[in-house]
Amino acid sequence: MKDREIDDILARAAKAPHDVDPALLDRVTESIGASLTPVRPLPAAWLLTTAFVLMCGSVAVVTASFLGLHGLENLGSLERAAIFSVLAILMVLMAAICASQMIPGSRWRTFPVVLPALGSVALLAVFGVLFHDYGTENFVAQGIVCLRAGLFTAIPAAVASWLLLRRGFVTGAASAGLIAGSLAGIAGITMLELHCANFELFHVMLWHTAVLPISGAAGALLATALRRFIRFS
Amino acid sequence: MARYQRGDFAAATAIVRSLSPQLHRFFMVQSAGRADADDLLQETWLRIHKVRHTYRAGEPVLPWLYAIARHIRVDHYRKTRRRTGREERMEGIPEVAAPAAEPSAAMDLEALLAPLPESQREVVEMLKVAGMTLEEVARATSSSVGSVKQKAHRAYEKLRGWLREG
Repeated sequence: MKDREIDDILARAAKAPHDVDPALLDRVTESIGASLTPVRPLPAAWLLTTAFVLMCGSVAVVTASFLGLHGLENLGSLERAAIFSVLAILMVLMAAICASQMIPGSRWRTFPVVLPALGSVALLAVFGVLFHDYGTENFVAQGIVCLRAGLFTAIPAAVASWLLLRRGFVTGAASAGLIAGSLAGIAGITMLELHCANFELFHVMLWHTAVLPISGAAGALLATALRRFIRFS
Repeated sequence: MARYQRGDFAAATAIVRSLSPQLHRFFMVQSAGRADADDLLQETWLRIHKVRHTYRAGEPVLPWLYAIARHIRVDHYRKTRRRTGREERMEGIPEVAAPAAEPSAAMDLEALLAPLPESQREVVEMLKVAGMTLEEVARATSSSVGSVKQKAHRAYEKLRGWLREG
């Protein structure tokens, strides 16, 4: 049996009239009519993307300014250009995916899990190329301070992203949470690169980069839990 | 759709009346009985009404609509499964039988697609019944065009075997 024959069978079955109870349609149109007011469509995707970038970028810069821009001051021009270019690209890409998550039926250019994974690899590669101090002085103690600072910076960025996401209609809670959490994680790493003057390779590679997957995973878990709570409450 | 967003009741009514049969059939094909499909349809339209601001003029309507319908169906399925799970644990309470699906024109299509797994069934329904393109189905199901093609191919393989045996 060829595909065309199956097509024909399906087409014949699909052509059969399918009626819906007119009373049901009346009820639906009545409910809609009772609360029908003009609505303003969501802004263009690039505007939503810009809003996500501005929110997360502002959180990173304001927090780093408050804590001190020691990292930025001690980085060379090449290091600054490389690190902040990668972070800016990741932030824009993640913000674009966040914006698409707000609109049901949006085109998916990439799966939400791919970008945080690629982002982590890109950051590890950039840090690996730029930093050559292999010391591990106070590795855990200093690392935990940085990880905590990065994650605390990610929290307001995630809350702001979630508030903006709520203006749309998210159909995939876990993927939206993952990408919003990852975007917030990028804000956390940006703050750390602006603030932290510890350029030991393993410190930066582990404790700074870890903010991204941890924030992403936390975002996915929280969004899933919230969705379940809403569904069953 | 743009007129509906501007608050035009006639446009809203026209959209509901023209798209309801295919949405209803979508729910029927996904193994829902007629009563469940009625509930899902009503819930979907109320949700569509609530989030109508998320539709963008110039974008295809069907992926937007089906993405919402799919979300409602998944929610409904999970709620039902949880409720059923609870009911099964309570011994001694007689189960209330679900109303049997009334014979309808969609039964043939439903029976035809019944042997397919849910994900393949929805892809075939969207492609061959709703007449959506691969790109539109990919948008509605939050997946890639390649994944949609693969599901459709596997569905056809299963249907071919099933039709040959039958």
